[in-house]
Amino acid sequence: MTAPFRTIGQPVGKIDGVELVTGRARYTADLQFPGSLQAVARRAGVAAGLLRHLNVEEARRSPGVVLVLTPADLPGPNLIGILPPFDQPLLAGPEIRHEGDSLALVVAETQEEAEAAASRIVAEIEPFIPLLDPEEALHADARKIHANGNLTFAKQLLKGDVEAGFAQAEVIVEDTYRTSVQDHAYLEPEAVLAVPESDGRLTVYASCQSPFHLRGHIAVNTGLPASRVKVVQPFVGGSFGGKDDAVTEMGSLAGAAALKLGRPVRIVHSRRDSFLGSHARHAAIIHLKTGAMRDGTIIARQAEILLDGGAYASESPFVVMKALIHVAGPYKIPHLRVDCRAVYTNKRQAGAMRGFGVPQVTFASESQIDALARKLGLDRWELRRHNALTVGEANATSQVFHESVGLVQTLERVKEEGDWPACLKRAHAGDNPRFKRGVGLAAMMQGISNGAEGIDVVGASVQVSQDGSVLVGLGLTELGQGSRTAMAQIAAEILGVSLEKISVRQVDTDTVHDSGPTVASRTTTVGGKAVWMAAQTVRTSLLEMAGLMLKAPAEAIELGLDHAYLRENPQAQIPLAQVATAAYWTGFPLMNLAFSRAPDAQYDHETHQGQIYIAYNYGTHLMEVEVDTWTGKVRVLRHLASHDVGKAINPLGVEGQVEGASLMGLGFAHLEEVLEENGKIRNANFADYQIPSFAERLPTRFLPVEEATSNGPFGAKGIGEPPLAGAAAAFTNAVSDALGISFRRLPITPQRILEALEG
Amino acid sequence: MEALSIQIKVNGHSHRLQTFPNRRLLDILREDLTLTGTKEGCGIGECGACTVLVDGEAVNACLILAPQVDGREILTIEGLSERGSLHPLQQAFIDHFAFQCGFCTPGMLMAAKALLDVNPSPSREEIRQGLAGVLCRCTGYIQIFEAVEDAAQALLETAVSGIEGTAGAAIAQRTEEAR
Ligand code: FES
Ligand code: FES
Repeated sequence: MTAPFRTIGQPVGKIDGVELVTGRARYTADLQFPGSLQAVARRAGVAAGLLRHLNVEEARRSPGVVLVLTPADLPGPNLIGILPPFDQPLLAGPEIRHEGDSLALVVAETQEEAEAAASRIVAEIEPFIPLLDPEEALHADARKIHANGNLTFAKQLLKGDVEAGFAQAEVIVEDTYRTSVQDHAYLEPEAVLAVPESDGRLTVYASCQSPFHLRGHIAVNTGLPASRVKVVQPFVGGSFGGKDDAVTEMGSLAGAAALKLGRPVRIVHSRRDSFLGSHARHAAIIHLKTGAMRDGTIIARQAEILLDGGAYASESPFVVMKALIHVAGPYKIPHLRVDCRAVYTNKRQAGAMRGFGVPQVTFASESQIDALARKLGLDRWELRRHNALTVGEANATSQVFHESVGLVQTLERVKEEGDWPACLKRAHAGDNPRFKRGVGLAAMMQGISNGAEGIDVVGASVQVSQDGSVLVGLGLTELGQGSRTAMAQIAAEILGVSLEKISVRQVDTDTVHDSGPTVASRTTTVGGKAVWMAAQTVRTSLLEMAGLMLKAPAEAIELGLDHAYLRENPQAQIPLAQVATAAYWTGFPLMNLAFSRAPDAQYDHETHQGQIYIAYNYGTHLMEVEVDTWTGKVRVLRHLASHDVGKAINPLGVEGQVEGASLMGLGFAHLEEVLEENGKIRNANFADYQIPSFAERLPTRFLPVEEATSNGPFGAKGIGEPPLAGAAAAFTNAVSDALGISFRRLPITPQRILEALEG
Repeated sequence: MEALSIQIKVNGHSHRLQTFPNRRLLDILREDLTLTGTKEGCGIGECGACTVLVDGEAVNACLILAPQVDGREILTIEGLSERGSLHPLQQAFIDHFAFQCGFCTPGMLMAAKALLDVNPSPSREEIRQGLAGVLCRCTGYIQIFEAVEDAAQALLETAVSGIEGTAGAAIAQRTEEAR
């Protein structure tokens, strides 16, 4: 495309903005169907044990109750999961693996009646001593939570010869780092509504992020063929990786109940249910050792990572791989050995959450880089720059990129705009007995696309109507990240149509191709490419038709501003609506379905060496903080976030992602921790589990770097996840710098700061 | 429990409702009046997703029971745009990308409206305090902040242009100084 971009790279508001600001946008819990019933699950309430007897008689007789669903009532295998062999029952028993296990589903006329009845179910459970410590769960004589033992998944990465590397190293730093459980805490709790249709099909409206994954599991568990199940995704109030297993469970249960009763059945989680019955971020124990030469050249790194996966496998296998690949950080390290394991415990299961293992290992890695700088007496920025990956160099998996490696540019931008030397001077200049200032840096990278997690195909459709308006369909979902707007911009750019004329459909599994899960920051990159491809074919039709009308070859035509015109003589133009109408009557295709398929990952499964991701997002964060040593409170004075996004399709959208992910990173590093006692969550509500509010907002300034990748539309790479890890690690290093104390456990809450100060 | 009859005005329309004393305003709005723009995020007054105006004051609809709203006037997100045109706050939210998933947006907009109604040119600290009760998990709040500042300015300008002569100029000057 030779003409300058018209919509790509322009800051535009969300195309569904009016619906969202007027309250017209309907989320799953807002949908109304006549005769709808409400359902509530009775949870185990015990972290581990054996269900001896479940008495539902009183609940069945409760006012308003129409059905109490128990495992015996389920027509299917009563199992869900991400990877076979699936290990998570919809309704648990006899083995109870965590307090949030559902035992039965009560369906009643109203929510109050369902809740009242659920509390009347009597579960006789013989309790076990819960296995809560991931290291203990791995002991040979530990009780087995699943038949195959407590090791969920283990992988290894081997590059070079790590022993030889450490033998050569002139300095070695070594430490153990820990992170805690973070909840997604999207504002909209999970919700589903299952509607039996008159043609024998089942429609499930779901606040979810992977509609096809849901469809498959709902079909199997209700005994319907998948083609009789339709999953529709209304507006979703945030997901961040979270609306997957829990919603699959809810959709399957509601579906089974709805089919049995012939009435719509709705399940809307309370906030407490969301804490107990969904999955969260893996807590991690990371043992890390790094060897370097005196000049700062990092030569070897060894890591042992243990992820607490909770009761079920969920996405643990994939999080294992991501942590494994990213613990080396964005550095060229010739000798690596990483062992990463996930383990079952009697806690709420861990699964996908924004960052997917990367925030945990980035915190460890970047803390250790600072420790290394201290030991070597080197500048922290210089040490990172010295080891930074660049184009043409092998990363942790020995993959070499020849384009789109913008790490050094992000380092440079942060150094310049942040005035690093001045930051260092400022850091302790104003210190007094109460307030201490510090500055922290973090560099990071995050793989884009499913990579080692499997095939990466996305389907998209583009259809132009005779009036020149455009309908785009995509198999990946809008979760708030602005993907509908970005897809509309891509189609608008290629077809020369103004943004107002573009609609992007809600996902409905009947009408789009199975495109896998909306994960891994792949929507813009792989999904956008599919829209790009689908639009190109329709563009060809329009160009050829316009050529016939303007008596010129198709190559001489350009599309723009809702017109087709001669590139050399823009006065010769025809409104696109006329071209589209003519194309229709002439028989040119005006709709196209395209598939984009990311290059397959090719690597050795024993060593994880090879081509894994189609691109990486690189970033550098800088934070200046002031710590109140009397209260432990931290004020972030300055935050610069630079990321290589390839190409910002919508700068406003990208900024929003950077700011939002960074603040979630602050939550991870400073405020948020799901607390548990004997396997029971103590803070399953927003009063006791604190997410950042307006008061904690960061003064984030985004510094874009655009090193285009040929694997994304217009060069774009995803940005939804990476800033979380960058902000969390920079915060940690800033607080450690301010106080001269190395924090090795997240979150660094005010309480932990005070404890550390007391020594 | 004994039923209760209440009279409320919602977005300018009067309703007489048969309800129960333990019913929350949130349920009355969402279920009885099918005004589902008001959201439930926590149910305990911590997230602000259910913020509506009762007699002009921002309240959490999940904490208010039916008897407390008898005879009162309520404004919800559905009543914010007048005669089909967006309120300046709504427009500013769109222009600034001040939402992602949009679930917090109705509550955020109502809290912002309550703030600007009593304090047309709030300081940054006042905006922070005025919106502190509404949580957003997506945006990082920066774009929301900018949208509210912008809308305040737009509202003032329309107000000022409606006032003739020196009074208008004086207000304009004061706002200029306040910035
Ligand atoms: S739902 Fe009312 S404050 Fe959260
Ligand atoms: S935009 Fe999603 S919670 Fe605010």
